[in-house]
Amino acid sequence: MAAGGPSVFLLMVNGQVESAQFPEFDNLYCKYCFVYGQDWAPTAGLEEGISQITSKSRDACQALVWNFPIDITFKSTNPFGWPQIVLSVYGPDVFGNDVVRGYGAVHVPFSPGRHKRTIPMFVPESTSKLQKFTSWFMGRRPEYTDPKVVAQGEGREVTRVRSQGFVTLLFNVVTKDMRKLGYSSWPADTQSNPGPSLPQGTPG
Amino acid sequence: MAEVHVIGQIMGATGFSESSLFCKWGVHTGAAWKLLSGIREGQTQVDTPQVGDMAYWSHPIDLHFATKGLQGWPRLHLQVWSQDSFGRCQLAGYGFCYVPSSPGTHQLACPTWRPLGSWREQLARAFVGGGPQLLHGDTIYSGADRYRLHTAAGGTVHLEIGLLLRHFDRYGVEC
Repeated sequence: MAAGGPSVFLLMVNGQVESAQFPEFDNLYCKYCFVYGQDWAPTAGLEEGISQITSKSRDACQALVWNFPIDITFKSTNPFGWPQIVLSVYGPDVFGNDVVRGYGAVHVPFSPGRHKRTIPMFVPESTSKLQKFTSWFMGRRPEYTDPKVVAQGEGREVTRVRSQGFVTLLFNVVTKDMRKLGYSSWPADTQSNPGPSLPQGTPG
Repeated sequence: MAEVHVIGQIMGATGFSESSLFCKWGVHTGAAWKLLSGIREGQTQVDTPQVGDMAYWSHPIDLHFATKGLQGWPRLHLQVWSQDSFGRCQLAGYGFCYVPSSPGTHQLACPTWRPLGSWREQLARAFVGGGPQLLHGDTIYSGADRYRLHTAAGGTVHLEIGLLLRHFDRYGVEC
């Protein structure tokens, strides 16, 4: 190890893809994957996953519950390219084909602690009414060849999308050695605690 | 040198009368700031919401700055445009907000405005579309020539911006 201290910091994320709200669709499953910059590498846990198929609850809130676990640890030398989780939700259409119902992405939160995020889900739209009808009829809707495009900012200026649902995620975030490297990710008045990532509760 | 990471998303917009919206965004900084990685400007997708009236973009922003001074703190400037079914674009609002200065995640709601023209131009905008636009984009984030403008309010752009600061305490900066 270099004399100056650590050169790498760790980010541990666990949590779940909790539930979704899609007023018009039912029987959905979701896939998640992580997108991160060149300075990042996953060291433990799963980078991708596919959930079960879930149906809407019968009560008024019509929730689609997955309760699907997420657990991954990254190491990095640079916060640029902070990991994002990309979600793709799929479901059957009228003819029984599997079509995409939404894509969404959000950055993993960077302050340690518990975070809840509700992200909007959108699908690309067909360019013309004829293509819309053909894709509905054939069961081949417009979709991204690589869902990781959703996590990037470039190239999105020519896409037209329709947002049609939300997914709620819960994250627990723990970081190691970010403060030793000089990074501060939470405001100074809460920095009096020696280690917010300690498993035992902190005094006071 | 101190470093600043701006990591977040332009989530979407509410309160606009048109529904298919997209946003052109950019970050302007002073002379002491240098962009080490990331893209300084961009344009979001065009979203037509099916649920509710908020247009969602979820456009990621990931910028890494190095700075020698506090002056010229980064400002995000936004232009919200609407696109109709024929593909024509019309200005819906201009807005700017400063990137927050304390580390952590912040929810920002940036109000927007659009220039009003004469009554003739307003009538034409209602029927045909179009309307006055700014010639120089820096009026959006600077106060210099604003007194010449007469504007009307647009909707609000919602952003979730997280800030990570490095070595600021070495220089005695409190934030």
